[in-house]
Amino acid sequence: MVVLTPVATDVRDAKHFSGSGAYTAAMIPSPRTLRHAATAVALAALVSAASACGGDDADVTIYSGRTDNLIQPILDDFEASTGLSVEVKYGSSADLALLIEEEAEAGESKADVFLSQSPGSLGFLEQNGRLAQLPDETLALVSPSVSDDGGQWVGFSGRQRVLVYNTDLVDPADLPDSVFALTGAEWSGRVGVAPSNGSFQDFVTAMRVTEGDDDTADWLAGLNANDPKIYANNNAIVQAVGRGEVEVGLVNHYYNYRAIAENPDQPSANHNFAPDDPGSLLIVTGAAIIATDDADDIAAGAQLIDFLLSSSGQQYFATETFEYPLAAGEPPASDVPAIDFTDVGGIAYEDLGGGLEQTRVLITDAGFDG
Amino acid sequence: MTDAALAPISRPPAPAARGHATPAATSWITPTRVLGLVIGALFAGPAGFVAWRTIRLGGDLGSALAEVPAPLWRTVQLSSLVSISTAVLGTGLAWLTTRTDLPGRRLWRVALVLPLVLPSFVGAAAFISGLAPGGVVHDSLDALGISPPDRFRGLGAAWLVLTAFTYPYVYLPVAARLLGLRSHLEESGRLLGLSSMSTFIKVTLPQLRSAILGGGLLVFLYTLSEFGAVQLLGYDTLTRVIFSSRQTNRALSFAAATVVLILALCVVALERSQRGAARPDDRAASMNRRAAQLGWAKIPALGVCGLTVVVGLIVPVTSLATWARRGLSDGRIGFGQLVEPAASTALVAVSAAIVATTVVLPIALATTRRPHRSSDVAAVSVVVGFAIPGLVLALALAVLTLNTPALERLYQTTGLLIIAYVIHFGSQALASSESAARAVPNGLRESSRLLEPSPIRRFFTVDFPLMRPGLLAGGGLVLLSTVKELPATLLLAPPDFSTLSTEIWAAYEEGFYAEAGLASIVLIAVSAVLTWFLVLRRSDVVRR
Repeated sequence: MVVLTPVATDVRDAKHFSGSGAYTAAMIPSPRTLRHAATAVALAALVSAASACGGDDADVTIYSGRTDNLIQPILDDFEASTGLSVEVKYGSSADLALLIEEEAEAGESKADVFLSQSPGSLGFLEQNGRLAQLPDETLALVSPSVSDDGGQWVGFSGRQRVLVYNTDLVDPADLPDSVFALTGAEWSGRVGVAPSNGSFQDFVTAMRVTEGDDDTADWLAGLNANDPKIYANNNAIVQAVGRGEVEVGLVNHYYNYRAIAENPDQPSANHNFAPDDPGSLLIVTGAAIIATDDADDIAAGAQLIDFLLSSSGQQYFATETFEYPLAAGEPPASDVPAIDFTDVGGIAYEDLGGGLEQTRVLITDAGFDG
Repeated sequence: MTDAALAPISRPPAPAARGHATPAATSWITPTRVLGLVIGALFAGPAGFVAWRTIRLGGDLGSALAEVPAPLWRTVQLSSLVSISTAVLGTGLAWLTTRTDLPGRRLWRVALVLPLVLPSFVGAAAFISGLAPGGVVHDSLDALGISPPDRFRGLGAAWLVLTAFTYPYVYLPVAARLLGLRSHLEESGRLLGLSSMSTFIKVTLPQLRSAILGGGLLVFLYTLSEFGAVQLLGYDTLTRVIFSSRQTNRALSFAAATVVLILALCVVALERSQRGAARPDDRAASMNRRAAQLGWAKIPALGVCGLTVVVGLIVPVTSLATWARRGLSDGRIGFGQLVEPAASTALVAVSAAIVATTVVLPIALATTRRPHRSSDVAAVSVVVGFAIPGLVLALALAVLTLNTPALERLYQTTGLLIIAYVIHFGSQALASSESAARAVPNGLRESSRLLEPSPIRRFFTVDFPLMRPGLLAGGGLVLLSTVKELPATLLLAPPDFSTLSTEIWAAYEEGFYAEAGLASIVLIAVSAVLTWFLVLRRSDVVRR
């Protein structure tokens, strides 16, 4: 039963409408109206003040595709030990690469150094001629297998592709040596994949380089036909494996170390494919200097990259982010299995960039993303 | 409605009044319309850039269309479903909390706005984690003897999450409209023997039509440009095409963005043709408010409100709190590092809300007072800004400022960031402002014209007080949307400038759930405090 009852009339409205004689009362701006106007003016002033201080220039401007949790401490160390000031713009590697490209096209480059989680974004800028040549001393700090053949970018930390598995549901003895085995009937419905994720696409590109397009296309089609579970990114796969939603998943190695650090009870572990298998690709996080006529900017940028490749920089990545240090002689964290970089050599990293479009076509043609 | 219809019925033959009216009668050019067109042109900048870039890159719309029919169809399906469900839910909740004796109305009015504050990708992630074994939903369902779903993916999941987080786009304007509506027609309906349900459908609903359509349109456009949540939930829409090809095939990426814009234009045009004549109320608003007695219906009514808050707020917040607690308990994270991002967030959000509400006001006045095609064009250009995915909008503004010497100084300043928010979310202020403008009775405006010759003083003394609830609701929507905006913020913010949503993104991206959870909870708190002090406390939505 719904019944209508009167509710008290709002007094303020009555003031305005109690009859034509009362209109004069509403003609005078109320103190409240004036206060609103004053607030608006004050805020506008605040905003323009904030805008004006946006343009101060630091010695090194970094566009970082790696988020601040995983790099800011080492950049603070750099400021403290060199006295150079650093400003950082964080974002996803691909978006920042687009922004650098637009800045360069307009002749208004702001970035001095680009740190990219994805070789694809470095390749995109290198192809468009937006990167500067790195000094030989910087290139000499790492193995040639983890830097650009053209000398325009250098890797400073590495992520290995692995198969993460649920330790309650899977016997490690049953796990394959090759990623090609995952198309077998015994893995039907058990594999988690993130086909739209950059690191999966980098891995497929590497497979095209070593195995050829035909074999890669066959593998992708076989994987898709094997009823895989599709996720948005590595993290989602590791979480899903941890809660048993899917038994195994193709991911980067460090996600599981971080998941375990967050939740030590999570029943998940990494399995490495054979060292020469495309499934165990090493993806590097790379650093590059943006092309400029200013020699000082290039020198400052090189100084920053050298710092990332110094022992303290490399050990930060090894122990804090569980990644592989790439400078000669630097060991990984104690519970991360060491790998021999000469084994991962031979993949032409610059092809990861140039061929990404074709990779995307192959992935789509295999029925993913559909 | 023509200008003639709006002319005062008994205009006195005073020379001043006639002099004021004559130019408007002979020419479409009025100051408000011209101002509206200029503002509309500014809003159209990014969309124009997208079209120009598509052509310049040789993006062949035909081949893009050949590649996008499946994601296009999925986008249309999801956007339509979410719009319909939010229209029903938002309208029902607005009626319950403004027109009935529902217990705890004031509390519900605040709680029911809050689901809007969660960035939808955070909401989606929290849902996924809540439905996982050990998660809050999974265990609650288990305790109730219901078997929890194995997977939370696809159209159904995306529909549920987006409905739960976007219905306030309908709820807020409809509640504001209900509070501004006279109830005399409803009372007449009741006296003539209509049941309360018939009264609502036959009398109240038609008067809410423009508010519901406007809110539903916002939801449609939001869903159209949404990326984070639908990607996490495994539902591929047009935005995925834009994102996945943004570097590898820029022609396709921009062509897909153009398809999104064309779709948005069609929907906006459809909405404007369906909203009916914009007829301001003839008499004063808000007199003799009467509340419907719900009686036994209070129980299901409370159930609906409760379930909405549980799904849109309690479930995600509980999941986020679970993440945050793990990090807080072992001292890995704290609130200290979030103070600066929280302050930055509040600054840009409040600024964007004020600027957006102010700049769309001339357009709202032009479209409702003296409708003309030129004002409609300006309004459409404001509304379409909401459909441009944040990343595309940010790139457009970056390119426009970088290549315009006079604007180059704006690049990577908070000023440009605020401009981006205003273009992206101005439509939300516009929808509410148009409703607000209709709340000013014609008779009152005509009478005031006799007494106060200055239109500006008239606006502040007569129009503004009556429009205030609607303007505050619009500003509140812009504020809440800005607080959680991510892609444009990441790209356009100055270096070393972080907001709560960029902190959440950074932590979530690298799997630091504890930080992401804590930052999300701070974001909800900041939104709630700002909304309370700046919007709700001052608006009639809570006062009555």
